[in-house]
Amino acid sequence: MKIQGSRFKIQNALIFVLSLIILHLSLVTEANAMHISEGILPFNWAVLWFAVAIPFVAWGLYKLKRQSSIDLSFKPLVGLMAAVVFIISCMPIPVPTAGTCSHPCGTGISGILVGPAISILISSVALLIQALFLAHGGLTTWGANIVSMGVMGSFAGYLTFRALRRLNISLTISGFMAGLFADWATYLTTSIELASGIRGDSPFMPLFWKILIAFIPTQLPLGILEGAMTAGMVVLLYKKRPDLLVKMRVLKPEEVTA
Amino acid sequence: MEIFSECFKKEHMLSKIDARVKILVSLAMLLMVLSYKGFTLPVLITLTCLFLCINMKIPLKVFLLRFSEPVFIASIILILKLFFSGKELLFSIPIPSSQFSLLTLTGYKDGLMDGLMIASRVIGAVSVVVVIGFSTPFTEFVAGLSWLKVPKGFTEILMFSYRYIFVLLDDAMVIYNAQKNRLGYSSIRRGLGSFGILAGSLILKVFEHSHNITVSMIQRGYDGNMPVLKQRPFKLSEIILSVVFITAMGIIWKI
Repeated sequence: MKIQGSRFKIQNALIFVLSLIILHLSLVTEANAMHISEGILPFNWAVLWFAVAIPFVAWGLYKLKRQSSIDLSFKPLVGLMAAVVFIISCMPIPVPTAGTCSHPCGTGISGILVGPAISILISSVALLIQALFLAHGGLTTWGANIVSMGVMGSFAGYLTFRALRRLNISLTISGFMAGLFADWATYLTTSIELASGIRGDSPFMPLFWKILIAFIPTQLPLGILEGAMTAGMVVLLYKKRPDLLVKMRVLKPEEVTA
Repeated sequence: MEIFSECFKKEHMLSKIDARVKILVSLAMLLMVLSYKGFTLPVLITLTCLFLCINMKIPLKVFLLRFSEPVFIASIILILKLFFSGKELLFSIPIPSSQFSLLTLTGYKDGLMDGLMIASRVIGAVSVVVVIGFSTPFTEFVAGLSWLKVPKGFTEILMFSYRYIFVLLDDAMVIYNAQKNRLGYSSIRRGLGSFGILAGSLILKVFEHSHNITVSMIQRGYDGNMPVLKQRPFKLSEIILSVVFITAMGIIWKI
């Protein structure tokens, strides 16, 4: 009787764990989990991330004003790039390890093509449209999402690409690493923002690790997917329109002719 | 693209209200929800927004899709708070349930309450944004933003990107269907390559479109500045209604 009782308990525990896993997977399939959702961050944290984001967006606006005074087509170009970042970050990509769909950020490629300042502006526009019309991210968490996706993603993508190109690493690998680090940097920052915002009285580090680990099943493969996508985009541009890469100062003229 | 507000019922109880009033009321609601320590206000706001969405005849599928990501994130945070945060023990389940259990699943009461509070805050805040997203045409929203002194460069980029999302989405769908018909997504490797080409083609289209748009805009007198909708004067009834609503919610927030 005692053995039967313990078996029954084990069965119950297994059913409970399995139900949790099924619930998790079924919920993930429905959602394109991405940015910090509306309302998660308490008031003071939301304000703090806005304060961090605003100078970077202002820097982007300053650069935009300067560039568009030289070239009238620059504003439409930036607007269209924002539309592409919006579309890329809305496209579901299957993530085999999690059995779910998620989506890339697109800031890696925008960082490479237009530089970090304009890329931050682009991501802030894409994030605002997503928050308003898709409920991906939010208005109150807009600042936090600009910092994670715009600032960290753009800088990680841009700096990785520039550093690798300076070391004469191929365009494909540089593009891949830029996309990879842009994606991972975004989720690392998102984990920091989430853990600091929701921890309450609990210590920061344990919660941070738990959130980071919760992201790993989707974000680890997604970073690789984003890297492959960024590499594909850069290589396609190089093959079809190398002059554009020169115009955007991604490549030097001699690199194209060579 | 039925996710955008323009595709739903045009005439509803919020359609006549000035976008600026809607933006200001929404911001006030968001601030209250964010700074509130409890469940009453977020639940009340959620119910109000639900009523408004029913009035606007938002399709259920679109409505649920809009809430899927926030609900998913809120439930993950609820689980994290329940099991990993708090001091007051609620339940404890050893796994496997025998003398030699490998781990014990422990739920905390204060963690659960914290998690529920965050979840209610998420649902309340998302409801507010969903209502403003569904009830306000984008051009009016941008005009409202410029009235709120949002920098011109930002609103211009916002207008350009909103307009060209639809154009580029159409382009993306054409390329995607062509790739799919040629088995471009039949394996993970091919899918990755195809997706890279799709995204790259979009970037090429961006350069092409931006040049064409600029040429056609310059021919129509574009000098680097985009005009926005002119604001009509505020209606007294709108102001009174919004002040009454914000005050009522403010009283609940204070209690």
